[in-house]
Amino acid sequence: MSDLLRVESLTKHFAVQQTALGSRLGGHVMAVDDVSFTVKEGETLGLVGESGCGKSTTGRCIIRLTEPTSGSIFYEDRNIRELRGKDLKAFRRQAQFIFQDPYASLNPRMTIGEIVSEPLVIHQEGTRFEQQARAKELLDVVGLNPEHINRYPHEFSGGQRQRIGIARALALNPKLLICDEPVSALDVSIQAQVLNLLGELQHDFGLTYVFIAHDLSVVQHISDRIAVMYLGKLVEISDWKALYAKPHHPYTQSLLSAVPLPDPKQQRARERIILEGDPPSPIDPPSGCRFHTRCPIAKDICSAEEPKLREVAPGHSAACHFAALNPVPIGIARPAEFTPIVG
Amino acid sequence: MKDYRSGMPSTPPFQPDEQHAGHENRTLWGDAWNRLRKNRLAVIALMWLVIVTAAAISADFWVPQVFGSPTVFSTSGAAELRLKPPTLAHPMGTDDVGRDLFARVIYGSRISLTVGVLAVVVSLVIGLILGSLSAFYGGILDAFIMRIADIFLAFPYILFAILLLSVLPDNLRGITPVFLTIGILGWPSIARVFRSSVLSVKENDYVEAGRALGASDIRLMLRHILPNAVAPIIVYGTMSVGGAILTEAALSFLGLGLPPGSPSWGGMIQDGRIYLTSSPGVVLWPGLAILSTVLAFTLLGDGIRDALDVKMKD
Amino acid sequence: MAGELLKVDDLKMHFHTRDGVVKAVDGVSYTLNPGETLGVVGESGSGKSVTALTMMRLIPMPPGKIEGGEVLFKGESMLTMKEEQVRDIRGNRIAMIFQDPMTSLNPVYRIGHQIAEPLITHKGMSKKEAHARAVELLEMVGIPNAASRARDYPHQFSGGMRQRAMIAMALSCDPDVLIADEPTTALDVTIQAQILELMQALQKRTGTAIIMITHDLGVVADIANNILVMYAGRAVEYGSTDQVFYEPSHPYTWGLMDSLPTHDLTEKSTLCPIEGQPPSLLNVPSGCPFNPRCPYVKEECRTTVPELRDLGDGHLSACLFAADPDFKRSAADCAGVTR
Repeated sequence: MSDLLRVESLTKHFAVQQTALGSRLGGHVMAVDDVSFTVKEGETLGLVGESGCGKSTTGRCIIRLTEPTSGSIFYEDRNIRELRGKDLKAFRRQAQFIFQDPYASLNPRMTIGEIVSEPLVIHQEGTRFEQQARAKELLDVVGLNPEHINRYPHEFSGGQRQRIGIARALALNPKLLICDEPVSALDVSIQAQVLNLLGELQHDFGLTYVFIAHDLSVVQHISDRIAVMYLGKLVEISDWKALYAKPHHPYTQSLLSAVPLPDPKQQRARERIILEGDPPSPIDPPSGCRFHTRCPIAKDICSAEEPKLREVAPGHSAACHFAALNPVPIGIARPAEFTPIVG
Repeated sequence: MKDYRSGMPSTPPFQPDEQHAGHENRTLWGDAWNRLRKNRLAVIALMWLVIVTAAAISADFWVPQVFGSPTVFSTSGAAELRLKPPTLAHPMGTDDVGRDLFARVIYGSRISLTVGVLAVVVSLVIGLILGSLSAFYGGILDAFIMRIADIFLAFPYILFAILLLSVLPDNLRGITPVFLTIGILGWPSIARVFRSSVLSVKENDYVEAGRALGASDIRLMLRHILPNAVAPIIVYGTMSVGGAILTEAALSFLGLGLPPGSPSWGGMIQDGRIYLTSSPGVVLWPGLAILSTVLAFTLLGDGIRDALDVKMKD
Repeated sequence: MAGELLKVDDLKMHFHTRDGVVKAVDGVSYTLNPGETLGVVGESGSGKSVTALTMMRLIPMPPGKIEGGEVLFKGESMLTMKEEQVRDIRGNRIAMIFQDPMTSLNPVYRIGHQIAEPLITHKGMSKKEAHARAVELLEMVGIPNAASRARDYPHQFSGGMRQRAMIAMALSCDPDVLIADEPTTALDVTIQAQILELMQALQKRTGTAIIMITHDLGVVADIANNILVMYAGRAVEYGSTDQVFYEPSHPYTWGLMDSLPTHDLTEKSTLCPIEGQPPSLLNVPSGCPFNPRCPYVKEECRTTVPELRDLGDGHLSACLFAADPDFKRSAADCAGVTR
C-alpha cells in the first residue's frame, strides 16, 4: 500500500490574543509543533492525546480548515497547502471531515435531505432529482430510514445525527475521512453502533481514516496504527498492537495505565502510573522534552535537550531519550522513582 | 470510482421511533409560530397591528366618504364644526379647523406605519450588510465598521435628526427624508446585534462542515449563517418599528417631520396641544394611537423572542 | 454490618410537562452501607442523576412529582422531613459533587473563601479557623502550595484542580455520604486517574460512603463495592461488582458490556452494540422497558413489567427470565466478524 497522506513538519501557532489593530498580546499557543507522519491508503491512523495536545488542529490542517504556520501536507504527492481555486475544490471532494458534536454539526434550518445532498449541490453534481435520490441512498447506507429525508435534525437522536453527518461526508465518494472524536459525545451502546458503521464503510468502500480521539479503548479498537501526541508534539507512533503491548514513551505508558478497565479483577491487579499535576500550558511549553515536568523517569538531559522521534523497533518510533531502554508492558512494572500523589 | 449502490452495510436500519411518529416534519420556524400562537399578549398585539394596517391600507375607500377628508377643511369657517366632542358622525370629534379626528387618526396610521416600517427597512439593509461583513471577515474591516458604528451611537440621536431635517429645503419635505433620516441613524444598533449573532453562529460546526465541502463564502453566509442568525434581528427589528414611530412623532411634534397639515400623529398632538384643557380629545386620540401601536410592536417583539427561544420550550 | 446508612425503596419521580408525563425515575431501590461505594451506571436519560437529586430533594416540584417510594437516611424519611432538616443533611451529612465544577464554584470568590464559608456558617468556626481548615482540606486533596492557591479564583485553577477543590468543599463537614455525579467525565484520562485515586484514598481515610454516578463501566470497576445498572428510569440489575461484571444477568447489562471495545491484543472483532435507541421517557414501552431492543425478547416481556428479583446472594435482576438457568447470554446473536 502506498502513502495516501504524508504530513511533514506540520506546525501551527495561534496568536493568543489579537487586538483590533492587529497588535499581539501574550505570545503564541504552540498548538502543533513539527509533527510528521504518513497514512497509508485504506488504513486507519488513530491520533490520540489529551485536550490541548493539538490532535484536532492537526486534523483540521489536513483538510485546510486551518492554515498551518509551516510544514507540508502531501495528499497523493501533491502539497495541499499550495492548492487554490479549482484544485482546492477538487481536493475537498477527496477528503472529508466528521465532527464531534452531532448537535452543532448539522444546520438546524435544513432538512436532512438538504444536508446530505449539499455536497452534491456545491460541486454541481447531478440534477435536483438525482441529488435527492442519492441523498436517500446515502441515508440507507448509514442505516437511517430514507423516508425521513424531509425531517429536520432536531427530530433525531445524537447517534442518528452522527449518522447523518457521516452520510454527508460520504456524498462525494471521498477517499480520506478525518474523524474528529466522532463517538465521544455518544452513549456507550450508540458509540458501538457508530464504530461498527465506520468499520463497515471502510471495508466496503476502501476508505482511509484519520481517527482523532481521547479514548484509548476506542482508538485501539478502530486503528491500524496509532500516533500519540502531547502538547503539540508527536511522542510515539506505531502499529496498534506494539503500542499497547510495548509502549516506549513514558507518556504513552501512563496514558494507557490511566484508562479504567471495565474488568474489576484486572483493574485491581494492575499497578498504575498516575501522573502528577496538569499538562503545562501550550503557550509557554517546557524546555527540552515537553513531558519532563510530569515524567516519572525524567533526568537532567530531558529538560535540556529535545528528544527526536527515533525508531525503537521496525515501524515503531518514540520521542524519548530513554525510549529504547524503557519498554514497559502495562500493568506489570512501575518506575521506581514514582511516588503516588496521595500518601 | 467506488459505487455506493453495491456495498450495503449489514447494520440494520432503525425502527421508526415512536417519539416523532405523531407530527409531520416540523420546522424550527413552524415550532416558533406554534409557540407564538399560544402567547395571548402577542396575539392581541398582532391582531391590533393587523387591524391598524388594514385600516391604513383601505382608508381611501371608506374614510373620506363616511367621515370627510382628513386634510381638506371648509374655509367657510363654520364654527359649529370646530372642536366638537365625539358624536355618531364624528366618533372622535373634530379638530380646531373642523376636520374629522377619526379620519385624521386613520390617515395618521398610514404615515406612522410607513415611516416606521421603511425606516427599519433602511436600518436593516445597512445594518445587515455591514454587520455581516464585519462578523464574517473580521480584522481591520470589522474594526473600521464598528468604529463608525460607535461614532454614530455617540451622537445624540434626536438632535442629529433635527439637524439633518432642519437644513432640508421646504419643497423636499415629506415622508422620504423622515424615514431615511431615522433609518440611517438606526443602522448601528442593528449592525451590532447582527454582528454578535453572526459571530456566535459562525462558531458552529455546520458552518465549518460547509467550508470543508468547498462551499463559497456567499453560500456559507446565505445558507448556513443568515437563517440561523436572523432570530435576534427579527425581534430587534419588530421592536425598532415602534421606536421609529416614536421618533417620527417626536420630529413631527417639533415641526420637522412632514409638512404642516399632514395627518401625522405627532403633528396632530402639536396642532392640538393648545386646546388640551378645553378639548383633550384632539391630543388624546393621536396620543392613544401612538401608545397602542408602539406597545403592540414591543409586545409582539417580546412574544417573538420567547417563541424563538428554544430553551423556553418547556 | 453497622446497619443501612441510606435506603432507597421503589422511588418514583415523574415530571409533568406540557407534552406529557416524563417518567424520569420509575422504581429504583438500593441500599448503601457506611464506608461502601455504590456505582450507579446508565446511559443518558436513564435517570441516574435524577434519582440522586430526588433523594436530596433538589428537584423543583412542580414540574417534578414523587409518585411513590421512600428514601431513608439513617432510618429517617428524607421525603417527609421538614425543609430545614433536609438542608442540614444536605452538604453536611450528604455532600454532592458534579461533572462541571465550574458551575458549582462562584467565579467572584477566592477558592479558600468558598471552602471556609460553610465551615463558618454550619460549624460555627471563626474566620481564622475556617481558613486554616480550608488550606488543610486543599492540602488533603493534593493541591500543591495550598496556602497560596487558596487565594486563587476558580478560573485560575485547571479542571482537575477545580474538581479537587470541589471534593475538598464536599468533605469539609465530614459527610457520611458523598454523591459524585460523573465527577471525571469532563476530565482528561490522566487527570481522571488522579481524581479516582484521590477519592479512594480519601474514602479509606474518612470512611465516607460514596455513590458514584457514571456512564463508564471502567470507572466503577475499580472502586465500587456494589453496582446498580439503570435503564429508562428503572433499576435493571443490582449486585456486587464481581457479580455484575462476571455474572451479569440482565440482557441490557450484557449489551452494555458487549458494546465496549475489548482490551485484548489478539484480533480485532466488530462490537456487539445494542440495536436501536433508548426510549423516550414520555413514552416508555409497556412491559419491560428494554423489550424493543432486547435480542432475547419473548411475548411476556411486552405485557409484564418485571420486578427486581433476588437471584441469591443479594444479586438482583429485573429480567423475567433471569432466574431461569437455561437463559444465557449467547454470542451467536452478534457473530464477531474478525477483520
